[in-house]
Order: sequence, then C-alpha cells, then structure tokens
Amino acid sequence: MSSADTLRDLKRINEKYQMFHAMTDDVDAGDSKFLFSAKDNLTSKDMETCAGSRILEGYHPVFDATSIEKLRAAGGKLIGKTNMDEFGFGTFSTNSGFEIPRNPYDLDRACGGSSGGSACAASVIDDHVSLGVSTGGSICCPASFCGVYGIAPTYGRVSRHGLIDYGNSLDKIGVLSQKAADLRKYMEIIAGKDERDPTSMVQPDFDTSYKKMESVAIPKEGIEGLSKEVESVFKDAVERLKSMGVQVDYVDMPSLKYAMPAYYILATSEASTNLARYVGMRYGHQEGDHSLKFDDYFTEVRSKYFGDEAKRRILLGTYARMAGFGGRHYAKAREVRQVVINDYKRVLETHDAVLAPTMPFTAPRFSDISKMSALESYKADYLTVPANIAGTPHLSVPCGYDSEGMPVGMQFVADHWNERVLFSIAEDWEKQFDLRRPEVSI
Amino acid sequence: MDVKTVQDVAKFAHLALTDEELEKYCKDLGDILSYFELLNEAPGCDERGVNPIKVEDITREDEPKVIYDADQLLREMDTYDRYVRGPRLS
Amino acid sequence: MKIGLECHVQLPTKSKMFCSCPTEDCEYPNTYVCPTCLGMPGSRPVLNRQVLVYGIMIAKMLNCEINDTTWFARKTYFYPDMSKSVQITQYDNPIGERGVYYLDGKKPIRITRIHIEEDPGSTKRTADLTSLVDYNRSGVPLAEIVTEPDIATPAEARQFLTQMIGDIKHLLQIPADLEWEVKCDCNISVGTERVEIKNVTGLKNAEKALHSEMVRQIAMIKAKKKIVRETRRYDPDRDVTISMRVKEFEDQYGYIDEPDLGIYHIKDLADSIRISESPQNMIIRLSNQYKIDGKMAKQLVNTSMDLAELFEDVAKEFDTASAIKWVAGPVSANWRAMTERDGEVDLSALKGFIRDFTDGKITDTQCSIEIKSYMTGVDASSMQDESAGLETLINEFLDKNPKIVTDYQKNDKAANQVIGYVMKQTGGRYSSAEVVETAKKLIEARF
Repeated sequence: MSSADTLRDLKRINEKYQMFHAMTDDVDAGDSKFLFSAKDNLTSKDMETCAGSRILEGYHPVFDATSIEKLRAAGGKLIGKTNMDEFGFGTFSTNSGFEIPRNPYDLDRACGGSSGGSACAASVIDDHVSLGVSTGGSICCPASFCGVYGIAPTYGRVSRHGLIDYGNSLDKIGVLSQKAADLRKYMEIIAGKDERDPTSMVQPDFDTSYKKMESVAIPKEGIEGLSKEVESVFKDAVERLKSMGVQVDYVDMPSLKYAMPAYYILATSEASTNLARYVGMRYGHQEGDHSLKFDDYFTEVRSKYFGDEAKRRILLGTYARMAGFGGRHYAKAREVRQVVINDYKRVLETHDAVLAPTMPFTAPRFSDISKMSALESYKADYLTVPANIAGTPHLSVPCGYDSEGMPVGMQFVADHWNERVLFSIAEDWEKQFDLRRPEVSI
Repeated sequence: MDVKTVQDVAKFAHLALTDEELEKYCKDLGDILSYFELLNEAPGCDERGVNPIKVEDITREDEPKVIYDADQLLREMDTYDRYVRGPRLS
Repeated sequence: MKIGLECHVQLPTKSKMFCSCPTEDCEYPNTYVCPTCLGMPGSRPVLNRQVLVYGIMIAKMLNCEINDTTWFARKTYFYPDMSKSVQITQYDNPIGERGVYYLDGKKPIRITRIHIEEDPGSTKRTADLTSLVDYNRSGVPLAEIVTEPDIATPAEARQFLTQMIGDIKHLLQIPADLEWEVKCDCNISVGTERVEIKNVTGLKNAEKALHSEMVRQIAMIKAKKKIVRETRRYDPDRDVTISMRVKEFEDQYGYIDEPDLGIYHIKDLADSIRISESPQNMIIRLSNQYKIDGKMAKQLVNTSMDLAELFEDVAKEFDTASAIKWVAGPVSANWRAMTERDGEVDLSALKGFIRDFTDGKITDTQCSIEIKSYMTGVDASSMQDESAGLETLINEFLDKNPKIVTDYQKNDKAANQVIGYVMKQTGGRYSSAEVVETAKKLIEARF
C-alpha cells in the first residue's frame, strides 16, 4: 500500500480499527518521505491534542513536541493522533475519553495500552511508524498484543518537551513498527539532547551500531503467573534464541515483585500533581459557570470531564502524597525504585539483557476487560513495570501466536543507554521469525 | 479505607463524587492499598534519587527571550482585555 | 510572646525562574508569557542558573549552612493565578538551613531555612466578582526566608525585616530607593498556641498585623478563652485579623519531588561565590575591630559604605586614631555636600592631606580646611577666614559658659548648646556638622 493509498483509505481504515482520534484530511502525501502517527499525548501544532481526555477537547497546541518536530524535519508527514487511555492510565486503551482502538487480529479484543492506537496503526498500515509513550509498559504491552516491534528507550533519551505528562520521572517516548529496522532508524531521528527538557541533557552519545546480543537472563519472577499458551510460546522462543547462539541463564530478581506497587505509588503521585492544572481555564473546556467560587468551579469541571480511571488515579496519588495518609508510601516507593535499578545493574553486569514474556496473556476480549477490577488490571502490568520504574530501555518483539492466532510478545530489558543491543536483537530475531500480518480488509 | 478519608482526599483533589462513585472508589482504593502493603516488606535504600538516571546541574543562563507570540498563546483562551477569565475568588 | 516570620522576596533576575520570559514590568497583561509559565500541557521548566546564585548569596548573608546538593519539590494547591495548580518550590534539601542573623548586631535571630521558588500570577476582580488573571508575574523567582520564633515583639519584627531587607538589597545590588515588595507569613503565639497570619504585604503591615493579632490573643487569654491554632489573614483597612477557616487537612500541600529538573550540586558554586559584607555586619565588625563606639560605626556605614571603607583604609595606612579624627570627623561632616556636587571626587586624595598633617606640614585646622575645600569645592583661603571666624565665635561662647566643658565630659550632647548659639549668630552660614565638629575639637582642647 503506497502513501497515497493510505491517505485515500485513512478514514475507512479508522472506521474499522479506531486507531486515530484526530487525523489529517490531506489525500496527497506531497513531497513527504514517510508517513507517521503519534500518540495523542504528544503536542502537535496543526492537530487537536487531547491525551485521550475530554477535559482537553478542542485544544490546539501552539508548539510541536520535539519528537514530532524532528520527524517532520526529517520529511515525515503526521497523519493522525492515536487513541489511548486517558493520560496513559490503562493497560488496554479502554479508558479513553474518545474512541477505543480494536485489535487488528480480532476486533472484539483490545490493542493493549496505553499506546493502543499507535500499536494498531503500526500493525495495520503498511510502511508505518508510530510514536508511543511508555510510563509503566505502554509501548511494549500494545506492541505485544498487536504483534509489532516496540521500543521504549532509556529515560531521558528522547526529549519530553511537548509530552503531556503522566509521571515525569517515568515517561519515555519510543517507536512502534512492523519492521525491526524501523526502531533504529526512527529512534536515531528522535533521540538527542534538547535544552527544553533538562532530563534529556545528560545522555551519552547514541551509539546505534550493531552489537550482537550474547546472553540473556530470565528472572524466575518473570515466568510466574503466565497463561498456559504464553508460557508455551515463550518456551519455544527461548529455544530459538539458544539456536541463534544466545546464552540463556535463569536468575533470581527478588525486587521485581515490589516494582508494581512502587510504580503505582510514584506514577499516581506524579499524575495527581500533573492533572491539577486541568481546571477549566486556559485550555480545553472553559465554558463553566464563572459565578461559582473557584474551588467549586474547578471541582465541577474536573468531575464532569475526567473519566473513571483518571479519577481513581488522582484519588490514589493524592492519598499517597498526603502526610498522615499514604505519605510514607511515596518515600518507600522512591527507595524501591533504587532497589530495582540496583537489581537490574547486578544482573546486567553479566548479561546483555533481562528477558521475559511482555504480557502474561494475549490480548483479552473487551467483554472480559469490563469484568476486571482496577487491582486486577494493575496486576497485569507486573512484567512491564520493573523496566519502566528503573528507566532501563526495553523492547518487545513478536515471538509467536496462540491457538487462536493472537500474537505473543517477549520483552528484552537492557542497561541504561544500551539501546544498541536491543536494536541488534530485534533485527537478528526478525530474520528468524515468521511474522503473521493481520488480515486487513476495509 | 473509609468513606470519610475518600471524601477528604476527593475534596483536596477537587473532585465531587456521587454516592455510587464514592462507594466504588472506596472499595477499589481499599483493595489496591492493602495489596500495596507489600511495600512494607520491601528492602530499603539509602540512595536518594529524583530520577531513574542521574540528572545533575542542568541550568540555563539568565537571558530574557520572547519565543512565543503572546496573542497566539491566548488564541484559544477565554479572555477579557487580555486577561484570562476565571471563576470567583471568594 | 514568640514571633516567627516566613518572608518572601523577589530575586532581581532578568528572566523568569523556569522560562526565558522577561521579568520586567509590562503595561499589558499576559504579554511576557509562554507555555511554561502558563502551565500549558507538554511544557517544562528549565532552571535559571542566576536564581541559584542569588539564593546562595542570601543563604551566605544569613550565615546558613549551604547544602551540597539541592533539588525542587512540587507544592500542589488550587487557585486561579497558579497556572499549573502546582508551585515549584523546595521542600527537603533547600539551598540553606540553620543560619543566624543578628538584629542590631546583638540579638541573634535563628534562620530555619532559605529556599527558592516561583511566584504565581496576579488576579483582579471584575464587577460581577469573577476573576481576571494576568500571568506576567507567573514564574518570577522568589526567595523564602523562614525564621525560628525568636522575635519578641511586633516592633522587633519590623526592625528585623527592615534591617534584613536593607542588607539583601545591598547584597543583590537592588537600588535602595526601588520599591521592592516583600510578603510575609507571620506566626505569633502570645500563650502556647500558634496562629499564622498569611500573606501580609509590606513591613509596616507586618508590624500592624502582628500587633493586632497580639492584642486579640491577649484579650482572649484575659477572657479565659481558648486560642485556636489556625490560619488568619490581615485586613489593613479594618486593622483586624480574620480567620480563614482552613481545616488542618486542607492546609497540606502533598509535596513530592520535581522530576523535570533533576538535582543540583551547589558546593563548588557556593564556594566560588564571595558576598560583599552586609551593612549590618560591617557596623558590627568596624565596632569590634577598631574598638569604636557602635554609634560611630553605624553613622559611618549608614552615611555610605564608601565612607566606611575609607575609614578602614586610613586606619590601616595610618592608625585608628587618625581614622576617627579625620574620616569620622571632617570627611564624614562634608560627605553629603560632596555627593550633592557634580563630578567624581577621588577619595584617595584625602589621604594626602592626612599625610601632610601627620608629617607636621600642616596644622590641625589647615587639614580640616583642606579636606572641606577639596570635598565641597569651595576655595580654601576664604574658608580659612570663615573657619577662624567660627573658632573665635565658639571660643567666646565657651569662655562665657565654662560649664559646657564639664557637662560634655559626662554627656557629649552638651556640645549641642553651641550649635544653637552659633546658628543664631551666623544665620546658618556653617553646616551643623561642621559646627559640632569644631565645637567638639575646641571643647576637648579645654579638658
């Protein structure tokens, strides 16, 4: 499918899969060199940006996020802003204030989240690259559910200027694509120091040259609680890795089980402060009744336009921050982050990556998701959260399919700034692996 | 997690909850926080980091610059005489 | 009674704390604004290095321990002028802690901490009471200085603030006459329970608010009523404090780390910063170092730091007695006349006259005349006659009133009688400083 075909069919593709919230009306790709899409929490000058939240409806930023600016400068054309869980709050992209993206392999199932629309676009559209954002696993999870490659780089590798914050000490911008080589190609464009984001200014040079992945460590904690099918697909994938000359060892990483609660404390604490700015002034909905006292006015707007999960996380994060309530949790979570980082550093001294399945199950049906409690869906993140809390780069590659044809992914976690081994294993794996594209009919 | 606490937290966060929501979040937060008690048994650490990587000493020089056109910034804002309109203060 | 203050002062940077917007005043609202200070989604802060420098300077002035590593925190509270509903401030590891500042060179006021933070925007009310917000001020850097409850009275609080603000203005080279807004949160307990008066603007109001609250608390105690630990505000028009009825819980800000900025190792920076001596410290030091009366030290420094420096210069090159005799004497007396003249005066030339005197080339009187002539630009020979006239006049008066000499030995104010007489006789031809100077010299000659 050419760029022209994609643009011509864009609206019809979207009707079926609902990957985009805002999208281009152009039918001509002009002299652009490639098409790309971006998660809707990245600000874009000419396209409405809502981060999946109704509270930002109608917001047109005056500036491009650095990652979008750089892709445009490299000749890219932004064709759409992808649907997501509101502000990134979810594992299935079902917590959106707008449209819920559908899994390309089975429309009754979720794409994963929170970069679900991005994974869906990368899976469905030919020659397409999509920008995703990961806070607790939001690139690898949907990459796994939609059968594509996805990378979340080291925290600070890509400027967060223009990223609508969820958790500022956790958020990372990355890339999703059907093709392993795209990860390296587009990461090279969007990475780098940016004076507008201090956390991007400390990174070492981005060495993307080939470096074979020699060894991986599989933590015992990473292969517990898997569905039978994921367990068996992963087992075969490990055998294949061995046949590729990768040494596989099994290790203990006892800190991993603490990562999930620590992550939710840190992420929601930060989120509850980031979301405090949405009060019905300056951007988004501003049409409330100004004759109310400010406390009441803010409360009215926020209660009306924030969705269910956003409210839950604001409450949790606010509670966790308050002295006398959960304040002690925040301090402990901060310590646990260091413990997890140290655990990774220890294992990565002797191995190139830590390996486990990306998600414990394949993409669930919407009907099953609606029955899950909040805690159950948080628990589903236990495999992706540790690398995210540690800020270590991680990659999900499709590694097989279950009996119903749904994709399974596995996740490699490398040391800080060592993205090159991830690019290399993705490309080496791609040569060995028979990727099954979804059947796309519109 | 008791209803009173959830009400207090909601008030502080500027969220008005319906009775139904109050009941739901009370249960959810109770479940989540009791699971998070797991943190109590986690090992501690003396290192004090703000970020997962070391972000140190990043500053800019004190040079005033006007980068954005203020009118563009105010374009979508509800304003009166260039002032941003807001609710009552008291 | 115990009083503690939290005092906010603006730091004189050219650009805002976390964005490059200018800090200068602007005629039109919402003009020096950008996505960062408007709190637009996706914007982020970048720290202005000069804010750290100014913060460290104040911390040094207040004799604080400066933390090797410092970072920022988010304080969450909702108000229309707070663009992010979050203020970037400091919580743990502020720039400086545990300082001490001497009131009038004597009474120590302990400094709990000094930290740096951003200012919110400003609001005004419309006729229908809804708000109009201007974010030009949003993101302007502030320093917050917190004292221990070491201040004894409302008057002392004002004295402390006046002295400290004077010192900070000198330190940061803010023109002394520039109107510079200072906001305070004032904590006061007459009995055992503490009350906070929030956001009082100006030094005079701080004293008035504290006084009004003190009177209220005393009345409560007399009436055997319980004082509630609470937050109040001050209404300057009615001169009363009013309860803000804030519940304990709502008073919390739920601080967390600010991850967008990282941390700052400021030890090397702090070591490299040398601050000029504060006027207050100079007074204390001059008084101790040269064993001179505190009043004289204060007079020198308050007249001009340059005059005080000349005093030290002369004390080092000649001796303290010469510095007292000449710098605290005729040089000080003619200082004002000198500054009111056009053009630069080279102060080192004054040392030439003193040298001539100590070498015995000129007399005491001639030296005084040379100094005055040089400083005021008036011809010396005409002055010689005038001066002789003045001395004659005073001597005649002293001959008639010998009691002044004995009185003067008990209290030097006795010399003032001479001024009244001379002024009346000469119709103000001589400056009072000059008359006092000459009178003292002649009285002391009669001991």
